[in-house]
Amino acid sequence: MDKLITAILDGDSAMAVSQARQLNASGLSPEKIIIEGVEAAMSALDTKCTLEDFNLLEIMLAGRAVMEVTKLFWPSGAVKDSAKGTVVIAALEGDVHDLGKNILKMVLTGKGYNVVDCGKDCPLQKLADTAAAGRPLAVGLSGLITTVIPVVRQVKGALAARGLDNVKVFAGGAALKQSTPGMLNVDFVAESAFDVLRFLSGLGNGLG
Amino acid sequence: MPELTVITGGTERKITFPGGLPLRKILEGAGLLVRSGCTGNGACGLCLVKVEKGNDGNLTKNERLLLSASQINEHIRMACQMAPQGDLSIRIIDEGAKSAWRELPQESGRPITAKSGQGTGTASPGKTFGLAVDLGTTHISFSVWDMAQGKRVFGRAGLNPQSRFGSDIITRLTAASESTDNASVMGRLPLEAINGALADGCAENGLHPADIRHARFVGNTSMLALLTGSSPAALLRPDQWTRPFDCATANAPVFAAALGIHYHASVVAVQPFAGFVGSDLLAGVLATGLMSAPGSLLIDFGTNSEMALWDGTTLWVTSAAGGPAFDGYGIRCGMPAGPGAIFRASRRLSGGGVDFHVTGGVRARGICGSGLVDLIASLCETGELAANGKFTGGITSYAVQDEDPAICLYKPDVDKFQRAKAAIGAGVRILLEMAGINTGQLNRVCVCGDFGRNLNVANAQRIGLLPYVMPGKVEICGNTALAGCEDVLLSLRKAQELEQIRKRASIVNLSRAPRFEDFFLDGLYLMPMPAGDP
Repeated sequence: MDKLITAILDGDSAMAVSQARQLNASGLSPEKIIIEGVEAAMSALDTKCTLEDFNLLEIMLAGRAVMEVTKLFWPSGAVKDSAKGTVVIAALEGDVHDLGKNILKMVLTGKGYNVVDCGKDCPLQKLADTAAAGRPLAVGLSGLITTVIPVVRQVKGALAARGLDNVKVFAGGAALKQSTPGMLNVDFVAESAFDVLRFLSGLGNGLG
Repeated sequence: MPELTVITGGTERKITFPGGLPLRKILEGAGLLVRSGCTGNGACGLCLVKVEKGNDGNLTKNERLLLSASQINEHIRMACQMAPQGDLSIRIIDEGAKSAWRELPQESGRPITAKSGQGTGTASPGKTFGLAVDLGTTHISFSVWDMAQGKRVFGRAGLNPQSRFGSDIITRLTAASESTDNASVMGRLPLEAINGALADGCAENGLHPADIRHARFVGNTSMLALLTGSSPAALLRPDQWTRPFDCATANAPVFAAALGIHYHASVVAVQPFAGFVGSDLLAGVLATGLMSAPGSLLIDFGTNSEMALWDGTTLWVTSAAGGPAFDGYGIRCGMPAGPGAIFRASRRLSGGGVDFHVTGGVRARGICGSGLVDLIASLCETGELAANGKFTGGITSYAVQDEDPAICLYKPDVDKFQRAKAAIGAGVRILLEMAGINTGQLNRVCVCGDFGRNLNVANAQRIGLLPYVMPGKVEICGNTALAGCEDVLLSLRKAQELEQIRKRASIVNLSRAPRFEDFFLDGLYLMPMPAGDP
């Protein structure tokens, strides 16, 4: 398991996949590999990625390794029947920058959440419809451009209109993280992808 | 009302203020500027003040995130984040960009003597002068020409004073769309700044601003939209980015008056190509004669880098927002090129340490873009920095100068540089892909912008900032946007040529390019760009 953790932290996708395959062949279930290997690696990365020691390449490479390992067990890319629940994420209409959203996707997948990605420049209706179909624990919005703020403010209303009043909404990204939850009409504003993890684990999985 | 005491340069100023207003607003209201890179929402962490006396309230979330422990201990706060209620005494740490104009370097722009066959266009006999302006996000450059003789009289370069509304385009467009006051101030600021520098330069050179009867502006689309008040808010919408965007100079007499030039002067903003490719790039293509041979690539380095590739049939153009690292901003030990900047560095072959060259022969105060390229390439060469941007051997930073002031390259600085570089690398590779050619088929690589002036090409290639072509094929071209603007000012034929360039151009939206993320990831590595098929 340590070899898998090291391979992910080094961003070595091929090594991570081969280690995961070996662990699986030796009888470990995919769920156990995710929880004890991939999630442990994500926690280590969280501690490392403070403001003082951040490197985008490092995170992207580790994220890719995680996605490859996930794909090995769940070829569609999503952790089906995730015990932790589903999170729907999007960069809303008007925002075509989704690097931050993609990092969030990798981090959440690595922690065992089933992530449904609505992509970038996503219309509000599409996001709400996806959420209605997926019964998620939470909906996450990433924004690089402050003009998406008016749309962000409408998300809770669109979810409530579909009976999803209890779905939590969080936001992050360069344009949104300076705001307060009140300004954005969301439940939580995250500093980083790892901050989202702490928020989600605080919610429990009662809705999953 | 409570009283604020501001200590600057040994003198004290007292200002009364209504309690509850952000300190930054109080200072700006009194005409005191603080350095800033955002609209005052706590994003940039640059508007630092030191609280000397009085109750400054609690730190905000943004301050806890952006201030270091030692800054907090020293009672350093962010001016936009604190709203004093009672008497307070503060010191401004950094007063921000004053529009200090300097002489334009001789090699900037077009050759300063007339080209043969010039004078075909707007020049008329007598003392008629013209003004060419390159309006950039960070810098403004302009030159004044004797139209009849085709000679440059003088040129100036300075900072764009709009930076107090934010250092990047998105922040400024947002500020302009939030309030019409902001928008009109932002339109006026560059004109006022040019007006002042123009009056000084004219006085020094024995002419009167009213002798200037022609003015041409080039710039990125956002700068031209802010200048002309052409619905800047629309530029925030992605559907506008690849469409033609109209920035007509609606009211030439108003512009002429603001600039202080002849009241009947023709003032023209050369139309941008589209929402995110401005007329500065078209001017650069014109000035470099990029379309004279296929396989010619132009990269104009800046906060928003623009690129063009001519394949013999189509001019592929795009822009990539890589951040201001090449201008030395956002890097802890970074500074813009100028006196005190390390502009060149090389690893000593024996005995350790780095040899560096400082602009102006003074003690080093920081590193500018070209120095950063050299330093990072040198550290990669000695193995102290790995290709993934991590320092080796358990260190997390590299000290260039120990003290007075300490200059140190930290890992997050390398990260910022990697991102800026990756944006360029991804842009270049996608243009090559669109044109269906590989690096080996490139005949010219034109490096434009101030950043390129002192660039060590071999080092830039070693870390993948420029494509790997024979060094002889790389041309350092300087400010080609201004040079192209001068061409348009002086020659009707050149102005028509620019319109021909526009017709051959095709815009590439990087955010819609399927392989952008792969190329971006590749580009983060500090290693040469792949030479093979794109």
